[in-house]
Amino acid sequence: MFGYILRRIALGCAVLLLAISTLYVIVQAAPGDPASAMLGPKATPAIKAAFAEKLGLDKPMPVQIVRYVGSVLSGDLGTDLRSRRPVTEVLAAHAPYTVELILASLLIAAGLGIPLGCAAAVRRNSLFDQAIGLLSVSLISVPPVIIAIYGMLLFSAALGWLPAIGAGVGEGLGSRLHHLILPAIAVGIGWVGYIARLVRASMIEVLSANYIRNARAFGLPELRIVYRYALRTAVAPTITVLGVGVGYMLGSAVFAEIVFARPGIGKLMYDAVILRNYPVTLGAVLAATALLVAATTLADILNALIDPRFKESRE
Amino acid sequence: MDTLLQVDNLAVRFGPVQAVKWVSFALGRGETLGIVGESGSGKSTLLWALTRLLPETAAINSGEVWFDSEDLLRLPPDRLRALRGTRISYISQDPMTSLAPGLTIGQQMMDVLHREPWSAREKRARAIDALEWVSLPDPARRMEMYPHELSGGQRQRVSIAMALMLGPDLLLADEPTTALDATLEVEVLDLLKRLQRETGCAVIFVSHHLGTVATLCDRVMVMKDGEIREDGSVAQVFTRPEDDYTARLLRCDPARIIEPTRRLPTMADAPAATAAAVVGPAGRVKGSESPILAVSDLFVTFHRGGFLPAAIGGAVERIHAVRQVSFSISKGETLALIGESGSGKSSVARSILGLVRPDAGTIRLGERELTKADRGGWQAARGEVSMMFQDPAGSLSPRRTLAEQVVEPLIVHGRRAEATRAKAVELLTLAGLDSRFADRYPHELSGGQARRAGIARALAMSPRLIVADEPTAGLDVSVQGEVINLLNDLQERLGLSILLITHNMAIVRHAADRVAVMLKGQIVETGPTARIFAAPEHDYTARLIAAAHHDLPTHESA
Amino acid sequence: MSAVPTEISAVKPAGGFRAFLGDPMGLFGLTIAVLLILSALFAPWIAPYDPAALDVPAKLQGPSAAHWLGTDELGRDVLSRAIWGGRVALTVALVATTLSVMIGGLLGMLAAMGPRWLDYALTLGFDTVRAYPVIILALAIGPIFGGGMGVLLGLLVATSVPYYARVMRSSVIAQSSTEYVEALRAMGMGRARIVLRHILPNVIGPILIIASMDIPAYITAEAGISFLGVGVKAPATSWGLMLDQGFRYVGHTPWLVIAGGLPLILATLGFTFLGEALRDAFDPKLRRRG
Repeated sequence: MFGYILRRIALGCAVLLLAISTLYVIVQAAPGDPASAMLGPKATPAIKAAFAEKLGLDKPMPVQIVRYVGSVLSGDLGTDLRSRRPVTEVLAAHAPYTVELILASLLIAAGLGIPLGCAAAVRRNSLFDQAIGLLSVSLISVPPVIIAIYGMLLFSAALGWLPAIGAGVGEGLGSRLHHLILPAIAVGIGWVGYIARLVRASMIEVLSANYIRNARAFGLPELRIVYRYALRTAVAPTITVLGVGVGYMLGSAVFAEIVFARPGIGKLMYDAVILRNYPVTLGAVLAATALLVAATTLADILNALIDPRFKESRE
Repeated sequence: MDTLLQVDNLAVRFGPVQAVKWVSFALGRGETLGIVGESGSGKSTLLWALTRLLPETAAINSGEVWFDSEDLLRLPPDRLRALRGTRISYISQDPMTSLAPGLTIGQQMMDVLHREPWSAREKRARAIDALEWVSLPDPARRMEMYPHELSGGQRQRVSIAMALMLGPDLLLADEPTTALDATLEVEVLDLLKRLQRETGCAVIFVSHHLGTVATLCDRVMVMKDGEIREDGSVAQVFTRPEDDYTARLLRCDPARIIEPTRRLPTMADAPAATAAAVVGPAGRVKGSESPILAVSDLFVTFHRGGFLPAAIGGAVERIHAVRQVSFSISKGETLALIGESGSGKSSVARSILGLVRPDAGTIRLGERELTKADRGGWQAARGEVSMMFQDPAGSLSPRRTLAEQVVEPLIVHGRRAEATRAKAVELLTLAGLDSRFADRYPHELSGGQARRAGIARALAMSPRLIVADEPTAGLDVSVQGEVINLLNDLQERLGLSILLITHNMAIVRHAADRVAVMLKGQIVETGPTARIFAAPEHDYTARLIAAAHHDLPTHESA
Repeated sequence: MSAVPTEISAVKPAGGFRAFLGDPMGLFGLTIAVLLILSALFAPWIAPYDPAALDVPAKLQGPSAAHWLGTDELGRDVLSRAIWGGRVALTVALVATTLSVMIGGLLGMLAAMGPRWLDYALTLGFDTVRAYPVIILALAIGPIFGGGMGVLLGLLVATSVPYYARVMRSSVIAQSSTEYVEALRAMGMGRARIVLRHILPNVIGPILIIASMDIPAYITAEAGISFLGVGVKAPATSWGLMLDQGFRYVGHTPWLVIAGGLPLILATLGFTFLGEALRDAFDPKLRRRG
């Protein structure tokens, strides 16, 4: 078990290192001179020269990669061309808004999706089940950008129930949560459908297992069978899926942050793209990638901890 | 006798299939009833229908199930649930899937006691007592374990303990020993017999094998196509069956034919026909020539890696699957390699085909030394040896017709011109399938037909040796004889040598010239079949023979 | 021929084409998909206006008999732009799906059949690509490479290849441990022939169904990335660009962004229902994918 966790973390680190190197290689493949590709057209010659010096752009590619990875790992993501502050600092100021948005979305996805899927599986083929099925498919298929825009039009502009803009910065916890509701729904609602379907499918499979019939044969109450025997096993795959889902949610968060003008990483990137402020956009990609790798790694480890069959490999 | 259970006109459908057809029977208090039938006879469906535990796709059309003056089919769900586990218990077939994987043995045992007014400490003590009662070693420690940490036999003991913990009046057992090795089956049957005596509960024991129920039950019912064909005391059914189907089934069970014969009776034979005499090995086996296959000092080791590479301190588990195994097979001879699961017999077979790489030893096929063979050498060898795998349908390629795949070995060995449809039909005919089967897919075949198709493919290259891995596994008793007859017949016509790998002692007697017994990766005894059965030298051999032989109960009711 | 494989088991055959026709949601999806494909194919004849024709005096109008979906900030007909935008969306979805399945399937097969080092290398490569959040990567890479449809397609294909490759790899590996494959190995059959002739026919169907179900995801991705301004560029039309323009006037004329979203919703719902129905009819086992 401990060995597995170590190995999984090592794999996560290796993937992250490779992802950083690959990003550098991809960007270097862009047309134009290498320093401009990394810094954008707005960079002054002095900044370009300093960058070329730092990475050794006259040196062979492997050397450049090692230097680039080294500087990224030491926390040096370059300088924001607009504010002249280190990119790391800029990202650190915006990241909490994205992280809290993702966490809230995960909460919505799991908190609504698991009970809905479970209820649908228990009442299989009922009207309720079919309604949940139709709702799930619809929620999954509507693009998050549409949900964000339509949601804002309906709940903020037309009904005035929820704030349309900002993150409620400096207005206390209540306001901050209030501002979080709509964006989190926009990011998480599609995943409610996804998780509900996944849980339903795996519950149905587990409920037809031999040991469930046995539990019934011993007269265990139905509720105990559903929660203690079935749901425990059926919920495991959702953890992995949610881990991978963080990647998609980061994408949806970009739209939600733009539509609701939340000062998160996505909004930061969007504004930086318009200004051709490449150090910020590249830094943001690396930060988001690190977040995703951490999420998938954590999901796998949680999964291993939950499944008692993993303990077998301890000896 | 005091009636405990009365079933009237019970009928169950699976979609369009009428699985149980208006069945009626009664069971007395403390009586042990065996229900026997082949796959698809509806016996398990009948059993699970009694307390309405069928899957959703099944529907009970009609019937009444009276248990102590209550109709179980019409009882409100909560009253029915109150009976389950306390007065009516189940043991199901597969010990691997009958316990929940995510809960410890203790949690599941104590859940069965959830209705009892005892403290947690007392429930725990009772659960440990129950595990001790079924002779599970070290029960207190087993309580903390998860099902996957126990062996199949141990899990089935846990299931039995759970079922009998609350002293039920009726125990329903659905093939509880089918998934177990023969020697384990004997142990579990003995255990059930002892517990039945101690508790006096009534038992319905469902099995596909007549012999198994004979050891445990007083009375037996034979089912076929959802109907009860025969119902009587074990002694009567076994000695004077009234139904023709029962009579044929009894006659063609290889386990019940003590005199060795090269041609076993089949379901198609008239019950009166006498079994053919043995065609002795004398003319067939060419022992004087150099052997077809000679295996000497074979070692096979599997490495199961830990999660860390060995280089940085990870533990690598070594499993010695085969240790110093030597044997040889002459032209025209059948050698049976017998042993139970995990004995290493399949690893031996796989090393002969190059599917497993041995660590040491030599395998000589004719003049060729296989362990030193290059690619070309192996390819040539695979033209001379064919292997038949365990699962009859599962070893055929699912998306290719039989005509396409029985001649595929020819294509692989560069003889594409010979791989014609005519050749395919010829091979299928040789294996007892006619040309209508040429365009069928594996999923359209019964177990016996799929097995025949596998034999047809094995014959494509006109091999000198066939390695048959459990050729009767997964087949009904009535079909096992047909397959053995076919192999024997082909051997005589084509002069084949056969390495028969099996745990089924009953067929060994009728197919093998010599026997090698494997235990824990080693051969513990070798000898001519007759001698092995008459006077086994190794204790384990004796136990295997005893396990295959189901004695009729001696307490015949006068 | 009375082989009943196990006694208590529900044998539920896939219903095939007939089952598909009996599914109302599937027929709804099929209708929308066919209409969208036809309107994309015949856009020049169907669209009432030239999608690029400016009519500034008639800008930002609501729906009317002349402009069913109104006009945008430059007076262009929204319906005509939606029809032409469908052309882009469907082209991107079709090309991206085809290329991803082909390249992914090939790499997945290579990983499953090739030597162990190749499997490790490819798997690590797949994991690396999957480490990037797609939309965020597009936002950074798009401008550096100048954006446009080519870059968009390259990005979508590159990021979905690992996904299909993994599905293919694990299906081939799962099949490889079956007894029928062992039987083929025992007769001396080479790996390439085993995979291509025996394993592939068993795994290709499910992968194609998964791919058909991913079409709405590509439509969504194209619209999203174009909305961010790093995908399809003017003068070409895209549903994402329409949303972007509409969003700029959301305070002034909310109608524009609502109309801009309609074709996107219709297309994703239609293709999703179609894919679901296809899967249920031809491979119910895939339901597990959730």
